[in-house]
Amino acid sequence: MLLHRLLVLAVIIAAPVAAQESISFNTHVRPILSDNCFACHGTDAGHREGKLRLDIADTPEGAYASRDGVRAIVPRDLEKSELWQRIISPHDDEMMPPAESHKPRLKPGEIDVIKRWIEQGAVYQRHWAFEPIAQPAPPKAKSRSGTHPVDRFVSDTLATRKLQLAAEAPREVLLRRLTLDLTGLPPTPDEIDAFLADKKSGAYERVVERLLASPRYGEHFARGWLDAVRYADTHGLHLDNIRTIWPYRDWVVQAFNRNLPFDQFTIEQLAGDLLPNPRIDQLVATGYNRNILSTSEGGAIEAEAEMRNTADRVDTTAAVWLGLTANCAACHDHKFDPITQREYYELGAIFKGLEDRVWDGNIRNPAPIAIVAGDPEKQQRIDELSAMIAPLEHTLTTKADSLIAGGKGLMKLTKKPITYEVVWAEDSDLITPETFNARPAGKWHRGPTVPVAGGEAALRLEGSQARPFFFTAGDVVLTARTEVRSFVHLYSDPVDPPRAVSLEFISDQKTRRFVWGDLAAFGPDIAAAAIHAGPLPAPGGYTRLELIACDAGVDEGKNYTGLRIAQSNGAAWWDRAGAVITSPSASDDPILSKDAWARTYRTTARDDSELPVRHDLRYVLGLSGTQQNDKEKKRLANYHRDHIYAPFRAELEKELHAVRPLLSEQIHYELTLPTTLISRELAEPLPAHIMVRGQYDEPGERVGPGTPAFLPPLRSAGAKATRLDLARWIVAPENPLTARVTVNRFWQQLFGAGLVRTPSDFGSQGDPPTHPALLDWLAAEFVRTGWDVKQFVRLLVTSRAYRQDAYASPELLELDPSNQLLARGPRFRLDAEVLRDQALALGGLLQPEIGGPPVRPYQPAGIWEPVAFGGSNTKTYVQDQGDALYRRSLYTFWKRTAPAPAMVTFDAPSRENFCVGRGRSNTPLQALALMNDVQQFEAARAFAERLLLRTSSDSDRLAYAFRSVTARVPTKAEQVLLHDTLATHRSHYLKNTEAAQQVLANGESKANSTLPVPEFAAWTMVTNLLLNLDETLNRN
Amino acid sequence: MNPAHDYINNLTRRQFFAGAGLAMGGVALNWLAPRLQAAGGTGVGADALNARIHPPLAGFPHFAPTAKRIIYLHMNGGPSQLDTFDYKPQLQERFDQDLPDSIRQGQRITTMTSGQARFPVAPSLFNFAQHGQSGTWVSDLLPWTSKIVDDIAVVRSVHTNAINHDPACTFLMTGSEIPGKASLGSWLSYGLGSENNDLPAFVVLTPKFSPKVAAQALFTRMWSSGFLPTSHSGVALRAQTDPVLFLENPNGVDPTTRRAMLDSLSKFNHLTHARHNDPETLTRIAQYEMAFRMQTSVPELTDFSGESEATLDLYGPEVKESGSFTASCLLARRLVERNVRVVQILHRGWDQHGNLPNDHRIQCLDTDRGCYALIADLKQRGLLDDTLVVWAGEFGRTVYSQGALTKTNYGRDHHPRCFSVWMAGGGVKGGLVYGETDDFSYNIIRDPVSLHDLNATLLHCLGIDHQKFSFKSQGLDQRLTGVEPARVVKEILT
Repeated sequence: MLLHRLLVLAVIIAAPVAAQESISFNTHVRPILSDNCFACHGTDAGHREGKLRLDIADTPEGAYASRDGVRAIVPRDLEKSELWQRIISPHDDEMMPPAESHKPRLKPGEIDVIKRWIEQGAVYQRHWAFEPIAQPAPPKAKSRSGTHPVDRFVSDTLATRKLQLAAEAPREVLLRRLTLDLTGLPPTPDEIDAFLADKKSGAYERVVERLLASPRYGEHFARGWLDAVRYADTHGLHLDNIRTIWPYRDWVVQAFNRNLPFDQFTIEQLAGDLLPNPRIDQLVATGYNRNILSTSEGGAIEAEAEMRNTADRVDTTAAVWLGLTANCAACHDHKFDPITQREYYELGAIFKGLEDRVWDGNIRNPAPIAIVAGDPEKQQRIDELSAMIAPLEHTLTTKADSLIAGGKGLMKLTKKPITYEVVWAEDSDLITPETFNARPAGKWHRGPTVPVAGGEAALRLEGSQARPFFFTAGDVVLTARTEVRSFVHLYSDPVDPPRAVSLEFISDQKTRRFVWGDLAAFGPDIAAAAIHAGPLPAPGGYTRLELIACDAGVDEGKNYTGLRIAQSNGAAWWDRAGAVITSPSASDDPILSKDAWARTYRTTARDDSELPVRHDLRYVLGLSGTQQNDKEKKRLANYHRDHIYAPFRAELEKELHAVRPLLSEQIHYELTLPTTLISRELAEPLPAHIMVRGQYDEPGERVGPGTPAFLPPLRSAGAKATRLDLARWIVAPENPLTARVTVNRFWQQLFGAGLVRTPSDFGSQGDPPTHPALLDWLAAEFVRTGWDVKQFVRLLVTSRAYRQDAYASPELLELDPSNQLLARGPRFRLDAEVLRDQALALGGLLQPEIGGPPVRPYQPAGIWEPVAFGGSNTKTYVQDQGDALYRRSLYTFWKRTAPAPAMVTFDAPSRENFCVGRGRSNTPLQALALMNDVQQFEAARAFAERLLLRTSSDSDRLAYAFRSVTARVPTKAEQVLLHDTLATHRSHYLKNTEAAQQVLANGESKANSTLPVPEFAAWTMVTNLLLNLDETLNRN
Repeated sequence: MNPAHDYINNLTRRQFFAGAGLAMGGVALNWLAPRLQAAGGTGVGADALNARIHPPLAGFPHFAPTAKRIIYLHMNGGPSQLDTFDYKPQLQERFDQDLPDSIRQGQRITTMTSGQARFPVAPSLFNFAQHGQSGTWVSDLLPWTSKIVDDIAVVRSVHTNAINHDPACTFLMTGSEIPGKASLGSWLSYGLGSENNDLPAFVVLTPKFSPKVAAQALFTRMWSSGFLPTSHSGVALRAQTDPVLFLENPNGVDPTTRRAMLDSLSKFNHLTHARHNDPETLTRIAQYEMAFRMQTSVPELTDFSGESEATLDLYGPEVKESGSFTASCLLARRLVERNVRVVQILHRGWDQHGNLPNDHRIQCLDTDRGCYALIADLKQRGLLDDTLVVWAGEFGRTVYSQGALTKTNYGRDHHPRCFSVWMAGGGVKGGLVYGETDDFSYNIIRDPVSLHDLNATLLHCLGIDHQKFSFKSQGLDQRLTGVEPARVVKEILT
């Protein structure tokens, strides 16, 4: 009897409208009209057949309106309803949908719905998701449902089908479910014991609190968000080079852990930079806007790339927060939802103020970036530096401009040889990012008593210097040639002359010192290797010390950046350092020609190498000439002229040396501290246009910032709406979409599927909610509780609906295969990251460290190499060693064009597009990965080692192991199976000790050598089995 | 004894197919509903021997196909049509003359050459001759391909929307420049399923190529499933120790041990199924068994030792070099022989902005003989009749020289407005040349074929009406051929 009733119900679900049920436009009719009619009779005014729209009733073009006496729909009158006549017409030329739409005829069930809807009065409703959210009162509590509001809604729906909530899952199973869901890691046997032992009421709630407070919670919840916003560690297009934006990833983790309210979470990501006096973390959050796919492909066309970047931002923001398929309106008005093409580009206009340039320059840190110091004092210093440097740079440029204005033009460069002198230090020395922390005791003096070799000041060094002193050329790279002579002037104190002085070239190569005076003065090692250049020059006057880099061991053609001075005892004045350079070709000399200079840096700028220039300049260097805009060309030219160009050095020294130490300090921080891509707003945004037919080269009417008119109005604080206004609009309580979309995503995460099963489409073409009232209640509750995410998660996991047993009876499976009714607990395969982390945790290998640069764990050879561009810095995968192999998967380096196989095999997205819900495939490739991937197998071996070191009894070990993976005690049958399995492998490896040795040698960590080898190998196979159990791979 | 074969032999039909059938029933997501029907309701087929783990969608193919499988030879980087198939003898007289504005018509060009002061015409340095009964013109860069011209149809009038590699490759393979759409192979796997229960339906090969300064990149999105279920993603068969990722057991684990572990696993998982009654558990049991079968079937697939001397001679010496393009061609034949639905070979290095004569020669040395041997081999085995072979880059190259033009050297920039593609077998007319470009191979003057047209044609050969082949994603009926009208190029079909 029961079966019979359930079979009837099955039909009801399949064709959802029972005969007696009244027809709802939103639930029953809209999906049919949307899918079959709206493309030509919907919101797209540009493509509306017969001036008829069927998404609306009462406008002149609406379904009720009369056209020459014909009305598409006449409520309660099928005969007069043209729509009805058309869908049942047997004639091809009348039939709707028409043949050329390639839509099949409506199915009988669909026709029946339309029929009954018209008969019942053809009542239209506004699309449910665009209606304001009211908080409906939860239905009355049913006896078995308890008082939890979620359960009252769920039970109410179940009751209409004579069903009820299932019994609660066994406690161990529930604990594993909850622990995996909230932290992405399995519970330990100790945690299971503690939970089972806690007989007092509220035990479950206490576990929820413990897990919500765990830092693992934030890591786990961040993952879903990072999928949504397509976070990755490479640019995604063409070279797919490294992009450094991981501090944003860490910000997301922290935001979940400190329970940043979701509205604030939203505002800081979209527009943290526009908040008053934004903190560093609020700037880091704006990395959201920088997660776009980007390119610097040589032939790419700027307008096209710019349009794509903006579209990527609009489409992602619309999908993630609003559940709108906005991109449908890029070429024409949206055909299903009321978003016009104009409104699409108005949304885009809001992002047109972002300062980052269209190209990524193939560098890891295209501006704007933030340096993340980690401590407030240093952070403040970094801010101060920026503030101090800007005016000094301005002064320097102004001075150089005045030189030009005064008639001192730049040299005309030819291919002919040239000899010239360049002075690095006249009245002060230059500090480079490397020497930044190593300032010696020497001091520049000026005044009538100071002897100078040039300029107005000289450097006094007294006594032996603990650290050498540097005369550097700033960031000028000098090329060693036999005809290049470097020099410095020395004036030994007549009263207390040094015992010796030495000069050394600063170079990556191993060089020899030149020593003047007592060769033994710097110790025997140096004496053995140094070149004795001569006696100490006579004190009391300047001597020019000259030396050639090639003589010191810098190979011809290699680079050096200056001289390192050492002095033994005594006192001396040092002054006027530089070089006399003979170049074979003036126009190829980087110190004279900006083009030659830029050429030498172009490739290195793209590499991940440390280049002693600031990121903004490095960026310009990374661009091809055609990619640089006028401003960038000028910046490059000015930089070369002001900082490098030899003929100007002497006259610009004061201004250059004023800014250089600060710049060096700034570059030093950029090179040594984490940096991350952030957002900043241009003073004047780029113009936004409607792009005709979505073509990048057909800009139409110009538009300003705006949002779709069918949603509440966008309020702007200033004259023009900004990203901050948009962010506030998104999380305004009256916005009908954000809360619905967000609670649905959390529901989906915990229940395996959303109440709306199309999480990125809440529009007309999306699925309607399975529990509309529940969705609205949850959305309203989320807003009412201040967008408190932890509170919301707590609300869901404490429901009986969540805690149900997952057993699916055959009847229920037939009735409701995808568990839309929630008459049983959710059961689904764990995500890629959780599978790997779980194995590492069970093996005791998992490293607890939170955050930091991405790591490169095991990856089979030949994943990156066969696909990557020859010049890409992610061409070759170099695996990390040690602890980095065992970090949580969240920290695995994400290369968009070839993500880790351990991820994509298990449905992780490529992070090329927003992804608000992963698929869950079930493939043989997954089986192979779980059985054979070294990460999994090493974890099994380490797991076995833990068991062997624990106790000596097989039964105890097996029970403990089984409990570790499933959280429950094995049944009798399972115990027998476990023992049999162990016996099989034991007998095999006792006979094959060499194979057993090999088993233990898998993976980089060393197996415990004190354990008996065959036994260890046999247990490894047992744990390999346990890590592959269906029950282990699922949260049950 | 091979434990894998033992195991399969020992499986009763009932066990095996009940498992597979229930597995299908179990994956009860909406997208699988039509598949269920095709699998015969509950999936327990009347004739167990013909049961397929991955059957086609209900109603597929739409009509009798002329091709059951496809081999797609992608020449990544953009081969020059001017130096291979699109013979323009008149250009010799125009050496170093400026490309007439009447030809360029202000069309966009990439930013690599948009700054050039001149667009000097660079006639091909290669000699063309007519070959075969058809008299198809082919340059002497392709002596081996010249021998099969009567089996192939050269389409000289293909055009694309994208002008740079990344979007052009994405467009070629997924029908859209924007990442995120499903690839051609994934569409076919989804629609037509697999006729081999031991190998993936869609296999990708990325052979070695002779080194160039900077070869363009490939992207996994070129074979990924996009919005389709990920099980339809292409599986890259690698020339490394593990042809399929994680195929090999860990060191110290032999097939017997793996079998023993799987026997235990299956028992545990059946208990789990009893506990939760989740159909996915049965699917998982079946997938572990397929994984085990792949451990045998894949090494057997990649082992060429059974190939006759005559066959190896047909392919030439490079076939013995693992991971070469030629070896990939033989592997492709072995794959289609096993009824693998889609084989995609992506050969890189064709992006000659400079030094084209020399580097294109090297590219052709890599690939020419393999293409010839593949067609000849398929033909001699009767496989060419129902196997479609396609040879295509993502775009063509410009008639004008990028950088310096000399009597012996030139480069060519990207040219999306026309390029040459050839197809063979599976319903394609051999010995045909279709479409025509102007005297500069710059614009198409007759019978243009868009990439959407090309894809519509490929689908047609495989028995699919491209307009009826859609998947709902993001509120839209997504199609490989997009929303603009596309046409099956029936003129090149038998």
